[in-house]
Parts: sequence; C-alpha cells; structure tokens
Amino acid sequence: MSMIEVSHLTKRYRDRVAVDDLSFSVAEGEILGFLGPNGAGKTTTMRVLTGFLPASSGLVKVAGHDVFEEPLEVKRRIGYLPETPPLYPEMTVRGYLRFVATLRGVPGGHMATELERVAHATGTTAVMGRVIQNLSKGFRQRVGIAQALLGSPPVLILDEPTEGLDPIQRAEVRRLIKGLGGKHTVILSTHILPEVTMTCEKVLILHQGRLVAFDALTSLVQTEGSVESLEETFLRLTRAA
Amino acid sequence: MRNALAIARKELSIYFTTPWAYVVFTAMLAISSFFFVALLQDFRQAHTLARAYGWDRLGPDYAAFKNLTDGVVVNLWNTVAVITLFVAPFLTMRLFAEERRNRTLELLLTLPVRPREIVLGKFLGGVGISTAALGVTIIYPITLALFGASESGRTLEWSTVLLGYVGLLLWGATCIAIGMFISALTESQMLAAILTFAVALVWWLLQGVVAGADEPWRSIGGHLAFSTELAPLLRGVLDLKSVVFFFSVILFSLLLTDRAVEAQRWT
Repeated sequence: MSMIEVSHLTKRYRDRVAVDDLSFSVAEGEILGFLGPNGAGKTTTMRVLTGFLPASSGLVKVAGHDVFEEPLEVKRRIGYLPETPPLYPEMTVRGYLRFVATLRGVPGGHMATELERVAHATGTTAVMGRVIQNLSKGFRQRVGIAQALLGSPPVLILDEPTEGLDPIQRAEVRRLIKGLGGKHTVILSTHILPEVTMTCEKVLILHQGRLVAFDALTSLVQTEGSVESLEETFLRLTRAA
Repeated sequence: MRNALAIARKELSIYFTTPWAYVVFTAMLAISSFFFVALLQDFRQAHTLARAYGWDRLGPDYAAFKNLTDGVVVNLWNTVAVITLFVAPFLTMRLFAEERRNRTLELLLTLPVRPREIVLGKFLGGVGISTAALGVTIIYPITLALFGASESGRTLEWSTVLLGYVGLLLWGATCIAIGMFISALTESQMLAAILTFAVALVWWLLQGVVAGADEPWRSIGGHLAFSTELAPLLRGVLDLKSVVFFFSVILFSLLLTDRAVEAQRWT
C-alpha cells in the first residue's frame, strides 16, 4: 500500500509554475531520494505535502487522507524538517522539544522518555539544557531533525537534513535515516548524491518542476544499457533543456 | 485548548527570557510613578487651596480632588491607559512577524494544530504579558490605602478602583488583539509596531479626529473612540455597552488574525 500518493500536482506562484503535473507514490517503509537542481521545485513539493502550501491543482494523499480535505489527519502523520530548521533561538533545546512534542500530542507521562529517545537518536543529549542561539550550526540542524522525529510519525519529510554538518555528523545522520526505513516512510531531499546512493532505494529527480526520473536506484543507473554513476544520470537528465 | 495553552506558555517564556518583559515593566513603572507623584502633588495643592478658600469657590475643576479615589486613582488609570497605548505595540510586534522571520511559522502550520489555536494561544500569551505589565500598577492604590487618610469614611472606594482596573486589563487585551492582527500582516517587527501604534492612537483620539466632520460621522466616530468607551469603566461605572464594545473589537481582531494567517499561505 502506498503511504504517499501524489497525482497531477501543480503549484503556481502567480504566473510562475514551480511544480508541473507531478505524479508519484511512495510505499510504506520506503526511503525516497528527492533530487533536483536548486529551484527545481523540491522544497515547494515538500511544502505542499506537509500542508504548509495549498496545491494549485492535483491531489496529495498521505495514508489515505487528502492534505486539503483533512489537513490535521495528515499533519499528525508527518514529521517535517524544513529547509531552514524552524527553531526559536531564545528557547533551550529541551524547552523547544517539549513545546513541539506537546503540539504533536505526546502525552505528558511519556514526555521525558520521548525527549530522551529523540535526543539520543540525533546526538543532542549533551546540549539539551543549552539555549538554541548559542548552538553551532551542526547542533541546530540536529535539533531540527530531533523535532521531526518527535512522536514517531509514520512519514518523515526531510529537506536537506545533512546541510551544515561535518563529515562525521553527516555519516551519523545517514545511519540514522537508514535506520528509519522500514518503520517510517521517508522523503529525503539532498544535493549530496553519494548520500542518496547510500540511503535510498528509490530516486525521484525533478527538473524545472517536472519529473524527469522516478525509479529504483539500481534500474535508474542502468538505463540505456550502460551502467553510469548517479551523478552522471543526474547531470544527463537535468542538463538545461 | 491544550495546544493553545502550550503556545501561550511558549510566548510567555520567550517574553521572560528576552529583555522585552523587563523593559516594558520598567517603562510602565517609571512613567506611571512619575504621574502618580505629580497627581499626589496636585491633590495636596487642591486641598491646601480648599482649606484657604473652601471647595465651593474653587470651581468644578477641583471637585474630583475631594477624595483620593477620584482625584488620584481614576486620573492615574487614565494615564496608565495612555501608557498602555504606547507600550502594547512593543509587546505585540513580535507575535507573528518574528515567527515569519525565523521560519517557525512553517513549523506551527505543519504541526497538527489549527490556525485558530495558534491565534488564540498567541493572544492568551500576549494578554498574560499585558496583564503582568498592568499588574505592577496596582501598587499605587495599595500604597494609598496603606498611607493615605480620609476625613470621612474609607480612604479608597475599592469598587471604583477595581472596576477601573478591570477596565484597564480589558483595554490591554484590546491593544494586544489589534497589535497581533497587524503583526500577522508583515514580516517586519518595526513596521508592525509603528502601524499598531498609529491605528491604536488614531482610534483612541477618534473623537477629536472627527470633531470637524459632519453628522452623522461626528457622532459615530465619537461613540467608537477608545477614549470615550473606556472613560466610564475607568471612572468605576459598569457600562455594559463599553464592555461589549471592547469584547467585540477583540473578537473581530482574533477572527481577522485567523484569516490573515490562512491567507498568507495562498499568495
């Protein structure tokens, strides 16, 4: 059964078309690599999926619920890390995570264990008592990821989660995301192609708002008889048309 | 409601972890103390004159100074209402504008929370901080009750004092609601503060603004002015019309804010 279903999604900003007739679906437990050059419409698609932006036309369903008709049902099932981690600089990490967990409906009795769980998963245990504005970029990014994991939502939408991390942290986050597969359905947007090769089974490539490739990673790099690297495929498909 | 309260608590904690709350409390106390002392001096002067010439010969302007309640507290409440008009924009300007600038509005709008819960939570947080800021001014009537004296009966008429105080809190909530709506319209906190101040000031002075206009505008403007609606409450007169008026302004502002939060996603 597909967890996320997008059919003929179009998003227009006044006269500019950001996403053009996009259709795809993600099965439960799958990790989808979401690729495309800057400005291809990745962030816009994610914002529509999470219910932040309304679609101009088309249908988006998460776990069988229409984003437009039942936004709360959809939002309850999605953990979302936007492009810029949405943090309140004045709050402590613990205060911030508790605030988000409350709004996610984590019951008071489970609060402490849930905070501990996501802090452990993202390696932020040591900074729980610190004020967010004093954290390094890497820690801020990880607090952003921790926030998305709160309440274990079945769907995770992560917009460039490894942005601003050093190579060691990047490897940790990669491991974390890989571990999420199976239990969670993940859409992972990134510019770092080896990351996709390492974590995702399926890849979707957007170019100028249109879908140019959507396939399993293995078959994607084998199209047209020859085996090429994901980078070569990406460059070939997104060459200025 | 749990969501709204969680948001209200977050707003309050941010007010108190940043210097905002303390700056506003200090400003409120410093300015109102200045006026309180000035009013006490006027009061004493009126009584000195009255002893020399008698109340009858001093004319109607001095009548209010016969007792501490009307002479000092009611006048003070009027002053505090005007100070509120000046400080409220600084409390409300960040409510939505900052969420936009920080990109945290995207978080709030993708959490399983209804926009109206966000609006209500922020309003309650704002009312909490305005009530706390106004709360410090209760020390003036308490000071009077402790150290003041009256020739006849109680020093202060507490029912008048407290009704005026409730009127002040209602006025504070009204300023917060208007400021919150304006904050939801822009990403710039500065712009939100200036616009809120302009709107609240013109609305406060509306009676004067429309003084030169033709009927029926003069009457309508006169009745809708904040200053005319607030005056009876501050004098200790429970005027139901004024209470309904302020509650309507608050409710209308909350509805508009809800619409503004929704609308910005569609542009």
